[in-house]
Amino acid sequence: MEEVGAEEQQRFCQRQRLKAAVHYTVGCLCQEVASDKQVQFSKQTIAAISEVTFRQCENFAKDLEMFARHAKRSTITTEDVKLLARRSNSLLKYITEKNEEIAQLNLERKAKKKRKPEDGNKDSLEPDVDVGEQ
Amino acid sequence: YKAGLSHYMKLFSFYSKMPVEKKALEMVEKCLDKYFQHLCNDLEAFSAHAGRKTVKLEDLELLLRRQGLVTDHVSLHVLVERHLPLEYRQLLIPCAFSGNSVSPAQ
Repeated sequence: MEEVGAEEQQRFCQRQRLKAAVHYTVGCLCQEVASDKQVQFSKQTIAAISEVTFRQCENFAKDLEMFARHAKRSTITTEDVKLLARRSNSLLKYITEKNEEIAQLNLERKAKKKRKPEDGNKDSLEPDVDVGEQ
Repeated sequence: YKAGLSHYMKLFSFYSKMPVEKKALEMVEKCLDKYFQHLCNDLEAFSAHAGRKTVKLEDLELLLRRQGLVTDHVSLHVLVERHLPLEYRQLLIPCAFSGNSVSPAQ
């Protein structure tokens, strides 16, 4: 019984840390918007936005997993992300543009790596890793 | 196509359980038109995503899941059971017939 309790505690802690990180990022973004638009965000608003973001991430994760499984893959790719953004045209356009940018960057990096003689066969792994970081 | 729509109108008045103005019904007709357009686009995108050219039941299930109709608690079979008449249910849900065969074949 105690072990189960400890595990739960750990999970809760992890969740809180994740939430704190999201809250911090949301705060930074809100500050940017505030200085841009000359409006103030109350602390409660920022907290609400971060909570919504956290929940939205759960939905996104589930949907992306579903899409990847639908295409009989176990790795989520940019195609799945594009499918997720299909609901709104402007969002889809934006994401497609970003995707092309990232692909371009990856190509450039690959070209740079190919000039160096070592680790030539690592290149095939490169795109997926980089996309995950963005 | 018009006859099919009148069927949906009957369905709509059945679910609304109160008298509906004629203008409202026309609006519903327009909405249904849009709905089917969206539906077809989505199904096309999903089947293309899975590398197919044929729309399969999986694509429809994914769509219903995206629409929030199919969830972890309510499966597609439950919805079929609830909303479709018996002859369609028999087509969609595996049921055992005599002769040790399951229909539909899976």
